[in-house]
Amino acid sequence: MKEFARWMVSIDRRIIFLLIALATLLPLLHPFGLPIKVSPEVRGVYDYIESLPEGSVFLLSLDFDPSSKPELEPQAIALLRHAFRKQLRVIGMTHWLPGTGLADSIFSKVATEMKRESGKDYVFLGWSPGTGSLVISMGQDLYKAFPSDYAKKPTLGMPVLEGVRNLRDVTYLISLAAGNPGIEMWYVFGKDKYRFEMGGGSTGVMAPGLYPFLRSGQINGLIGGLQGAAEYETLIGQKGTAVAGMDAQSADHFVIIALVLLCNVFYFVLRGDKGRLA
Amino acid sequence: MIFFKRQLPLLITGIMGVAFALQYYIPHPVSEEAITHISKWMQIISGFALVLGLASLFQVHAVKIKRQVPGWGYSVILYLAMLVTMAVGLFWSKGETTMNGAQTGFGWIYSYTMVPLQATMFSILAFFIASAAYRAFRARTREAAVLLVAAVIVMMGRVPLGQFLLPWTWDVTQWLLNVVNSAVRRAILIGVSMGAVALSLKIILGYERSYLGGGKDQ
Repeated sequence: MKEFARWMVSIDRRIIFLLIALATLLPLLHPFGLPIKVSPEVRGVYDYIESLPEGSVFLLSLDFDPSSKPELEPQAIALLRHAFRKQLRVIGMTHWLPGTGLADSIFSKVATEMKRESGKDYVFLGWSPGTGSLVISMGQDLYKAFPSDYAKKPTLGMPVLEGVRNLRDVTYLISLAAGNPGIEMWYVFGKDKYRFEMGGGSTGVMAPGLYPFLRSGQINGLIGGLQGAAEYETLIGQKGTAVAGMDAQSADHFVIIALVLLCNVFYFVLRGDKGRLA
Repeated sequence: MIFFKRQLPLLITGIMGVAFALQYYIPHPVSEEAITHISKWMQIISGFALVLGLASLFQVHAVKIKRQVPGWGYSVILYLAMLVTMAVGLFWSKGETTMNGAQTGFGWIYSYTMVPLQATMFSILAFFIASAAYRAFRARTREAAVLLVAAVIVMMGRVPLGQFLLPWTWDVTQWLLNVVNSAVRRAILIGVSMGAVALSLKIILGYERSYLGGGKDQ
């Protein structure tokens, strides 16, 4: 038994890699489609957007780069679909320079799908340097911060921005963040001074760190990781890549749990052989 | 010279620090105009940081190639990738990712190399996390055992399969995240924020001078 335990503890890591690969691939090829439960955190964002009147100004800041695409792109797509369906005026931007092209493609893709027009129904402002100072600049005068949009069209006079002078005229802002600059930065430099309502979305790793902001009401909802995106897709009734990916994530979690439990069983079997443990 | 290297920066820092701490509480048009201008200046200065970063990256890797340190081949690849991307972006694509609805060469490099490469790098983490968890996540002490149990419950409660097999893990996960996790995170945040306030005061009052850099005049 001890020999087997010793062999298992020092198992070739490529076997673990293979198990994870299978746990990811098989559910993607043969999904088992379990129901998605919606958390109050995600419902907070959905309910607030649902309560907004037509024509309200919704700013979506896609603060991530391609490395977080699998988790945050489905969140962005679901939020945009919801906002466009509710006939909100959408302003898009990013604080992450490497994510600008990705953010632009997300906006273009969903706008085409929902038959929305750039400049009239939405505008993608792109990226500008400064992070915190950019937010202050937008809070003072949006047109000085972004004289033109990502497609180099002048922002002043755009129908989508009618009546919008600065961040005080934004009804709701959501930052989908993979780190800093992101939700905290938007709160500190933006919401605290310019008084708009704010929600957040983040990668699964970051989400637990944002719960104090949620509990204190500094953000009114939080979409966490792929699970959060799947919950939002369920709420809007339009399933996408997040719901499809949750089966793979379920299987991966179970493989990791099984590995951790096995490792502990072998650890207890070998507890006496301290010097011989790997 | 010491005035320009030491006293003047300290004076500017002190005055600007106090002025913009007060500005937050003064909604007068003059004060609002000042913050509008200063925020624009700050944006411009942040733009220069990009140029500095690029120059520094070029310099670090040039030294590695010149000295042929272990792994210098990767520096050559980095140089080539940067130069090719810059050349395609500046000369063939005029800095645009799309032109007349079609993707440019620069857009192609972004969409078909950078996006998949970054996503691949991040997704590889799942394999290493699984391997590391298998080898290192052991209940050696009571505290480690508590962490282990909490982690297993949260991992089950955050996925549909766990919620389906053990429905109670959903409620326990929500409680762990909203109560235990929030309390701990809040304590960390308050500690970090108080540290930031103390450091800001030290910088404004001139006690913390490391940002001025070294040198014999310091």
